[in-house]
Amino acid sequence: MTTLVRLTMSKRPILFLMAALAASPAAAHVTLETKQATVGSYYKAVFAVPHGCAGSPTVKIRVQIPEGVIAVKPMPKAGWSVDVVEGKYATEYDYHGNKLSSGVKEVAWSGGKLPDKYYDEFVMQTLLTDALKPNTTLYFPVVQECETGVSRWIEIPAEQAGHSHEGKSPAPGVKLLPKP
Amino acid sequence: MRLFAALATLLLVAGFATGASAHAALVSVDPASGSILKTAPKAVELRFNETVTPGAIRLIDGAGRARDDARIEAAGETISVVMPPDLPQGTAVVSYRVISQDGHPVAGSVIFSVGAPTATKPPTSTDAGLSALIWLARIGLYLGLFVGVGGVFFARWIAWSMTGMTVPRMALLIGIPSAIVSLGVLGLDLLGLPPAALVTAAPWKVAFATSAGPALLVAVASMLLAIMALRSAWYARAFAMIAFIGVGLSLAMTGHAATAPPEMLTRPAIFFHGLGVAFWIGALAPLAALVSKPATAALPVVNRFSRMAVLAVGMLALTGLGLAIVQLERPSALIDTRYGAILSIKLGLAVLLLALAALNRFRLTSALARDEKAAPALRRSILLECAIALGIFALVAGWRFTPPPRTIVPETPLAIHIHTDKAMFQVLVSPGKAGANDFVLQLMTGEGTLLGAKEVTLILSLPERGIEPMAQAASLGPDGYWHVRKVELPFAGRWHVRIDALVTDFEQITLEDDLELAP
Repeated sequence: MTTLVRLTMSKRPILFLMAALAASPAAAHVTLETKQATVGSYYKAVFAVPHGCAGSPTVKIRVQIPEGVIAVKPMPKAGWSVDVVEGKYATEYDYHGNKLSSGVKEVAWSGGKLPDKYYDEFVMQTLLTDALKPNTTLYFPVVQECETGVSRWIEIPAEQAGHSHEGKSPAPGVKLLPKP
Repeated sequence: MRLFAALATLLLVAGFATGASAHAALVSVDPASGSILKTAPKAVELRFNETVTPGAIRLIDGAGRARDDARIEAAGETISVVMPPDLPQGTAVVSYRVISQDGHPVAGSVIFSVGAPTATKPPTSTDAGLSALIWLARIGLYLGLFVGVGGVFFARWIAWSMTGMTVPRMALLIGIPSAIVSLGVLGLDLLGLPPAALVTAAPWKVAFATSAGPALLVAVASMLLAIMALRSAWYARAFAMIAFIGVGLSLAMTGHAATAPPEMLTRPAIFFHGLGVAFWIGALAPLAALVSKPATAALPVVNRFSRMAVLAVGMLALTGLGLAIVQLERPSALIDTRYGAILSIKLGLAVLLLALAALNRFRLTSALARDEKAAPALRRSILLECAIALGIFALVAGWRFTPPPRTIVPETPLAIHIHTDKAMFQVLVSPGKAGANDFVLQLMTGEGTLLGAKEVTLILSLPERGIEPMAQAASLGPDGYWHVRKVELPFAGRWHVRIDALVTDFEQITLEDDLELAP
């Protein structure tokens, strides 16, 4: 829990930087590289990890797969081992004529070490099913575990709240577009 | 032994089924008591620390009239008193009387003023006569259960003779009406009615619906069985045993000790504590009569009893100690609360009783074996034990009027309630003034059950003074609530409170609100 305290303090200089640059407001967070995707199509989710937890190197990245996202295949990464946790979906999804009722619910890369001063990306391929609602944002909560401390990128803004106030550690999101 | 095991299991199941804690305490009131409002509130909302049943709730309006058109809405731990639309200006009083899970009433009043304060007074709710009657009825009940049923059990199972049954018979004849009166006066107390209302059905109905109703029924049944076991019949021994077990059951079914968490431990503890008392105290009167007889008749009985009494006393001490720890929570409560003071005196008397019992067991009993002159001394000692036991009954009956320290909520902390569909957070801040404050965070789900969280963070800021958010980790207390102690809040004013509760690794519930801190 002390991490959170330290996080707030360490972020203050970054906030100044943000004000100066303004163009890349999400640089300090774990984010998705591609910000828009069409429902009913494949989506290559690239999680950008710009820094560790308050200076401590990142040793594990866990991504929760939201409901409606299926056929998840993480891309192996040199120096990291990848694990998936499978589980039941809330409903059945049609996948090339097959009914899928369970699949990957969580992906974790671990065993590597990403120092705070470096940047890296973690990639998986996904299928955004038709069940997802277009014109909303789909969030992939991420838990970033470091040698000391944890950063949880799991805040999901309430639907109506919209822009009101962005939290300290928002979950990475992708805006869903309707089928063309 | 098998019967005991079955009963203990039954008790466990009963403990699980009735759910959480006991003896309700008022947690917050909206509008706050003593507040002066511009316009009349739509409702007065009372929130307790557990689910309560409304007893008597009355509204006296600013004009000093008692109103009967306030609507009561009870939902779990919250009771809303919906105000009539034509509430006049002035000071209004809502007096409430609710029934906690342990079957005891909790009463108080909330005062608020519309426009400007006037001199409306809360009604005086405690009736000294009624309290005395409740107390006496309880002593009578204890006499019936311990001296009466315990005495019959002694005669049928230890002494194998009906010598000295006069006192137990009298105790049973006092105990049965006492149990019935107990139920009636509990109803009066719950509804705030005068004794004359005993002729109506209302107080009986209300009292019977509490946990005390079935418990008193079991007590009456036990005493009736004991009376039947006085007669020499083939069923006498069986009835005496069932009655004896009924004493423990009846005590374990109600009261603030039986409903203290963890109930799966406290209920059996009360059960065995009750059995121990009935075994020991019940034996005293018949023993006193026995030792006046020739020693050849008394000695084997005294010896048999002494052997078993050591076991009973050990069980009494063990269960009593365990219950005291649960109820008191901290040793200082032995002195600085009324409940603790009663317990302290009770412990003193119990030690005295133990000393006498030890004297009887190790000195006088062996003296009795050697020569008969020891009999008067043993008899005197036993009679003294009886007197001390009566004193303990009178003391313990007084617990009915004092909440155990476990349930005492620190006085009027500042409280805010944050509510969404997903969760309700109750935030208690004491003392609620600028300086060091203790925070208690009660996290509930939308349905009102305890919300399990992995981590909870309290974030405070005072934008008007430029105080940036300060985050503090909360720690989970044994009470199931989250605590942050000694939070330095340097200025009075409108603080912004935000609580992050990590429910799973990937899910966090965040609620925020403002909090007016007094200087």
